[in-house]
Amino acid sequence: MSAATVPGASVGGESPVDERVRLDVSVVVPVVRPDSRLREVVEGLGRVLEDRGLSHEFLLIFDGIGGRALDEAKELMEAAPGSVRCIRFQQPFGESACLAKGLEIAAGAVIVTSPGYLQVEPLDLGLMLDALDEDCDLVAPVRHPRVDALLNRVQSWAFNLLMRRVLRAPMHDLNCCFRVVRREVLEEITLYGDVYRFLPAMVHRTGYKVREVRVRHRAEIGGVGLFGVGVYARRFIDLVGVAFLSRYTLRPLRFFGAIGGVLTLVGGVMTTGLVLQRFLVPDTVLYQRPLFLLGLLLFVLGVQVIGFGLVGEIIIYTQARNQREYRIEKIYE
Amino acid sequence: MVPVFDEAGNLPQLHEELLDVLERGSDAFEVLYVDDGSRDESQEVLRRLRRGDHRVRLICLRYQAGQTAALAAGFEQARGEILVPLDGDLQNDPADIPMLVAKLDDGFDLVAGWRKDRRDGWLIRRIPSIVANTLIRRITGVPIHDTGCTLKAFRSSLMRGRTLYGEQHRYLPALFAGLGARVTEVVVHHRPRRHGKSKYGIGRTLRVVLDMFTVTMISSFSERPLRYFAFLAFPFLAASVLVGVTAPQELMGGGAEFGLDTLAVLAFMLPFMACAYFVLLGLLAELAVKASDVHGEPLVASEFEVER
Repeated sequence: MSAATVPGASVGGESPVDERVRLDVSVVVPVVRPDSRLREVVEGLGRVLEDRGLSHEFLLIFDGIGGRALDEAKELMEAAPGSVRCIRFQQPFGESACLAKGLEIAAGAVIVTSPGYLQVEPLDLGLMLDALDEDCDLVAPVRHPRVDALLNRVQSWAFNLLMRRVLRAPMHDLNCCFRVVRREVLEEITLYGDVYRFLPAMVHRTGYKVREVRVRHRAEIGGVGLFGVGVYARRFIDLVGVAFLSRYTLRPLRFFGAIGGVLTLVGGVMTTGLVLQRFLVPDTVLYQRPLFLLGLLLFVLGVQVIGFGLVGEIIIYTQARNQREYRIEKIYE
Repeated sequence: MVPVFDEAGNLPQLHEELLDVLERGSDAFEVLYVDDGSRDESQEVLRRLRRGDHRVRLICLRYQAGQTAALAAGFEQARGEILVPLDGDLQNDPADIPMLVAKLDDGFDLVAGWRKDRRDGWLIRRIPSIVANTLIRRITGVPIHDTGCTLKAFRSSLMRGRTLYGEQHRYLPALFAGLGARVTEVVVHHRPRRHGKSKYGIGRTLRVVLDMFTVTMISSFSERPLRYFAFLAFPFLAASVLVGVTAPQELMGGGAEFGLDTLAVLAFMLPFMACAYFVLLGLLAELAVKASDVHGEPLVASEFEVER
């Protein structure tokens, strides 16, 4: 098998030349809010990149919105033709889809993702670009000091703590989506759903090296105070989904089986115990013991959970045969 | 093919033994080491061993992906017609390789090693393994005593278009036999560990049980999962029928004591529901198989041309 077909493999240390890469940096901006401040992003980051002599482009991906942000983008395109490109989705598909689209058309060897406003000090992009060296594939920011409300900080801290536990990735500020990442790394991540937010954690789990850099927090638009219950619920469900998929995609029965196994065991012990008691101890009346019913129910539930795991195994066996659990770093011939 | 994880201490001796055995056989061989993200100096040792020898290749994985994944990476990169995976801890004896390969020539597709005389602790390694092996043998009907032995030899054509995932490397004989390969086994030597320490613990017993479900299902029923689910559903149906036959009065509520009839209904309904769920899940699984290209992909035992 030729080395080029192996994802992520570079044979003998030579990386193949990708003819799509013509620039140093592509800045991908998913625009999800009509009150985005695109001008400050393009001008602020553009100046930093120019000062460092890096060729760059801005890809503004509109997630189904128009309005003032779109007008602003059109002005920016006229002002700098060629270096600012716009794509607008017919309807909202989410930030991950925006990033995927941006990656598809990007010409940069390094991808910078930025929210639609200057969330962090643009000068610190320099720090982040510096951090992207030989043994680093993605640079994630840690905002410090934070300028948003205390409540936001507490929420953010709790979310990151939970995420570290569930995903087992040492990330401290996943809510800041200003990131610097190598193109080939991003190409190995399936971008969908909430992966955009969890990107550093996903990249870390795929075996790449992630570095966190402290940057100055500049502003925050939207999302002040408590969100609706739905937002928290959605965030949490996404986290569970990502954790499940990243750990158990290729072994679903491990997950379902562990849960189902415990339930079956508990239920089984309860029922057998009571049945034994019925025969060994005189005057025991089984139907007066609610525990017996509980045991039966648990047993059946556990068996069903295992059944779901088996269906999962069938799905993986039949559909995901080209999924690889490993990434080759290097082959010495 | 040697998957390696933190085995720096064992590697030089292993390499020497391997080359010694292989050079006596033929010169058309390669030794493929897969470094599964070792944290010790395994990688340096391997690079040193490899130096100047084009028959030795080394694949470095980006992070520790597990033994199955390491083997999958090796199988994918291997160029040999016959693949012989081997543990990196010296517990397998390279001297057994010629015997395994010779057995392949007797018309088999896979020859599994059988560590008849195991040199491991009883409680956490041997007993779970004996139970699992017996069960797998019963259910799949493949007469292999030691499916978990890494040392085996098989034709690379078996792996064509496939990749290993989960814990499949332990169950290759059963898997391939289920797919139509001719499988046999020979007794191999097993040596106690000298350097480093074992990477398994008691925690894997539950996993072994779960894997058994998967393997029996995939190997024998992957084309017809409904049958497997029906097989699982049968005991529940039997329980339900049993209750129905023994306690018809209670079920109808005909003069039975309150409480007893409730219990009877539940004891009848719950297993019945479990059975129904299994059948439904089986149908879902059938859908998954139908939607895939697993159908019509028979294992090619041997290729030959038709003479005209």
